[in-house]
Amino acid sequence: MLENKSAFQVSERVERLWKRSTDLSKSGKRNVYVDNPEFLVYHWSGHSAGFSPATGEMALSDDERINLGDHNCRVDTGVPFPYADEMPSKVDGFEYSVTNWARDYAFFLDHSPAEVYPDERIVSEFHWQLDEARKFVYPEEVTELGFELRQLGAGGTSLAHTCPDLSIGLKKGWAGLLKDVKASLEKWKTYGNETRVEYLNAQVMVVEAIMRFIGRHADQAEKLAAEESEPQQKKLYLEVAANMRQIASGKPKTFEQAVQWIQVYEVVERINGHGNGYGRLDQLLIDFYRKDLEKGIITREEARELLAELYLKYGGNYFSFGGRDIKGKDATNEISWLGLEAYDMVGGYNHLGVMWHPDMDESYYHYACDVVTRHGCGVPTLVNYDVLRDSELYSGYRYEDAWNVSYSGCQWYCSVGSEYSDHDLNSFVLTAPMQRAMKRAEEEACGEFETFFSIYEEEVERTAEALAEFKNRVYKWQARVWPEMVTTLCMKDTIDKGLDITDIGGARNAYTSVNVLAVPNVVDSIYAIKKVIFEDKLYTMAQLNEAIANNWKGQEIFRQIMLKQEKFGNDEDHVDEIYQRVATNIRETLERQHNIKGFHFRASLFQYMGHTYAGPIIGATPDGRLAEEPIAHGCNPMHGRNHNGITATAKSLLKVPFRKYQGGSLQIELQPKFFDGKEQKGSYIEKFSRAYMKNGGVQINFNVIDLDQLKKAIDDPTNPEYSDIVVKVTGYSAHFVVMDREFQKEFVTRINYEAI
Amino acid sequence: MKPSDYKKDCGLVFDFHRGTTHDGPGMRTTVFLKGCPLHCAWCHNPESIDPHPALQWTERECIGCRTCVNTCQFGAVQADEEGIQIRRDWCQECYQCAEKCPPGALKVVGTYWDVDSLAAEALKDSMFFEDFEGGVTVSGGEPILQYRFVTEFLKKIKEAGQNTALDTCGLGLREAYESVYPYVDTFLYDIKLMDKNEHIRYTGMSNQLILNNLIWLIQKAGGDPDKKIWIRTPLIPGATATEENIEKIGKFLKGEVLKGIERWELCAFNNVCKDKYRKMHLEWDYRDTPLMTEDNANRFLQIARKYVGEKAVLSGLTAKD
Repeated sequence: MLENKSAFQVSERVERLWKRSTDLSKSGKRNVYVDNPEFLVYHWSGHSAGFSPATGEMALSDDERINLGDHNCRVDTGVPFPYADEMPSKVDGFEYSVTNWARDYAFFLDHSPAEVYPDERIVSEFHWQLDEARKFVYPEEVTELGFELRQLGAGGTSLAHTCPDLSIGLKKGWAGLLKDVKASLEKWKTYGNETRVEYLNAQVMVVEAIMRFIGRHADQAEKLAAEESEPQQKKLYLEVAANMRQIASGKPKTFEQAVQWIQVYEVVERINGHGNGYGRLDQLLIDFYRKDLEKGIITREEARELLAELYLKYGGNYFSFGGRDIKGKDATNEISWLGLEAYDMVGGYNHLGVMWHPDMDESYYHYACDVVTRHGCGVPTLVNYDVLRDSELYSGYRYEDAWNVSYSGCQWYCSVGSEYSDHDLNSFVLTAPMQRAMKRAEEEACGEFETFFSIYEEEVERTAEALAEFKNRVYKWQARVWPEMVTTLCMKDTIDKGLDITDIGGARNAYTSVNVLAVPNVVDSIYAIKKVIFEDKLYTMAQLNEAIANNWKGQEIFRQIMLKQEKFGNDEDHVDEIYQRVATNIRETLERQHNIKGFHFRASLFQYMGHTYAGPIIGATPDGRLAEEPIAHGCNPMHGRNHNGITATAKSLLKVPFRKYQGGSLQIELQPKFFDGKEQKGSYIEKFSRAYMKNGGVQINFNVIDLDQLKKAIDDPTNPEYSDIVVKVTGYSAHFVVMDREFQKEFVTRINYEAI
Repeated sequence: MKPSDYKKDCGLVFDFHRGTTHDGPGMRTTVFLKGCPLHCAWCHNPESIDPHPALQWTERECIGCRTCVNTCQFGAVQADEEGIQIRRDWCQECYQCAEKCPPGALKVVGTYWDVDSLAAEALKDSMFFEDFEGGVTVSGGEPILQYRFVTEFLKKIKEAGQNTALDTCGLGLREAYESVYPYVDTFLYDIKLMDKNEHIRYTGMSNQLILNNLIWLIQKAGGDPDKKIWIRTPLIPGATATEENIEKIGKFLKGEVLKGIERWELCAFNNVCKDKYRKMHLEWDYRDTPLMTEDNANRFLQIARKYVGEKAVLSGLTAKD
């Protein structure tokens, strides 16, 4: 049963849709997998080139792969794609070319079922991703370099969180997009540019396949309507058929058709295997809503229900609300409200973000904080619009692109339609250069801390250069290996240019952002080294290297001394200065690296889940951490080390200017009893987050979780009592019981502010 | 500054709480000063009573390395089958043992702070004070014992434009309260027990001066909208949490006195400080006392409301049933 925590009534129809959607999640039919722990740590598995394909020749067994939880809109049927052997690339031969890719895509979509389920007004889903049927691997010259890079502590996969500008597609419809493709094709034919002609011909195949796919939904709905005797359901089928007919050939005309258009776009785009964000839902839909209201063909309640249906259908959407308009005014509108109210109605798992700024409608932000507290699932994520925009401007985006930035999932944001975001899946494991620096310091008999720090900086640079070389090798191949053709259709300029967004020169902005893993552990380690090795000279670097190599065995006194040193996250300037130095250094080092697309590298102070598995891979660290312990989560202090409370931790984080970075969220896990005796639960979150963001904070992920209940859920995962628990893992939420055990275990060790 | 470096004009601080919502209006930073004239049987900060720095050993954190024993030149730190023992009469207060202790199991409770450093530390959370309408609270122990220091400290906080609160048991010199008065926005004033003999029995001191000081304070603050007085009564099972006591306090507060009071907070008891007693090798009568039930706490609230109406509020953790 849906436990409705809001004031909004759920109709029986939506409740049935809710049940189907959550049952899919809870029964593990929406899980996302990765190949191995190395993928989480280095963001590169050395196996498949993306996430772990669920089926097909690159699929791994359940024992090998790691389950990230219900973080997918793919609905698992338990069987592989039935036509996998008939894929054109298998029958006619595989090639690294856009034509070869597009033929596979068209065949794949033509053989994906067009399904319409009872009760649905918003239809379309998918059961297989293209990488289950088409080989998604880079040539050997890329993988070779990947293994070398991993030795130096970095890696990367180019695959996620771009925000196409859906307003382009909503305005033109598929037919309009096709017309643009054909016009561009004619132009490039005239110029005699065969490469672009080939690309645009491939685009024609892609768009036509999508139009057929939509048309088949209309056929299916009509067929079901003909067979249906129940008048209400028959009417629904006919409505679906009419909507699909309209968007197969023309533009979406109504709010409902626009919502349906978005769902179809998400399906045919996400089928590529990435996890893109889809932008600012309130800006995309407001005009449709207003027009329908004027015509009197929609009510507020209906619009809310349709949005709820979209959430349930897709299973966790990366949409954002709020922010500012191009003139800098508050962009909050009726859809911002309806979008949150729709979530409030169905609750649970989702990935919506609210983009706060100081001029935001206060009552709206108040409501957002109320929702995140009441539901306790970390939804919506609270982000600071001004910092997102300023971070884009800082990196070099033009204002016309930067103002339209959108939270795009996890800790990411993207300038809608004008950016190829290669930023979810590049990882820099900062302990690796530190460990090399420690070795060198021993060999070079380094006696001064500053000399040691210079060696560390040199080693950071070495890894950064190797990472840039690797990414550039990937970029050389990317547009041929796995073009993002559906995404490209809703980008600015790309169709006109006849270039894929993954191609050199395709997207307006193509920076490479890198998740820096283990910042707090490196800060704590370097600070302890400074104090104990260089200032107090209690031990030598050689002794430290040996102790680390042996996982502190027989060195408990030494370990305790390193542990006892001040730690990052307590608003203590001595150690937070090291945080500033470490963060500034990695940022500047990455900014010195350039990709062949003409853009520099950006540092993100967050890595979404490598911390859980990194322990044994990186070994013990000088901060007193044992190899088997997890490492710190993003730029949040290591578990249990922030003894000065939530405000001190927040202040420590704020000692770097987040606009110069590409994200870095503050994670706060609160226990329900934290709120005991507090009059308004949401108001605490509201005041705290406002103060934090006013002072430069970029993002807060709040969890309200009952630790005792989670511990019980780990031991008794099949107990239905625990099946509904949703937690925010980092920027994304998942049902707790379907997550991998290591995540569960790590999750319950996170610091909880149970009383203040 | 090392804890032993006593300086004139310094205050002896034993703890800080940042981000607290229990010590006055909004979200606050609370500074706890060491030393208290009362010896309440239920005291939540037993380490705060002694007005000097003191060594404290935490068994849970000790790895048994004997670094402390080997460090002490005076033989004041010894190890036996019970763990680490500190011969306080032999201790020369150099605190090298604590400084050298690898896991930090030996700690010095109580650090001397000068006014400027303490104000800087207490103001670290200023960025949160505005949205939460909070500020800085001085608590203890009994801060009024160090009133000259507290006056200067609170003056600094006021100069920084922040709200101040003083958490006091009311037992102090009139001139002490006169001294701090201009710099305190909210007085958190404890009335624990109304009966004088009971007060002596549970706290070691009479409540005469406490009540006189309160009347004086209410008269002095009379009509000044910027001065707020919150009465706080801990609900201690068997001691203060009796119908008779709450009735008596209610009767004392109603009428003229009530006009000067913004709220009367009944603070439900919890035993989370039991570890502190263990660390100090002290017995504590309340170590196994459970949380008060919500119903029971509400019963006392209803009694209080008879006298002071909506000014009575409940705080602290309670059990559901």
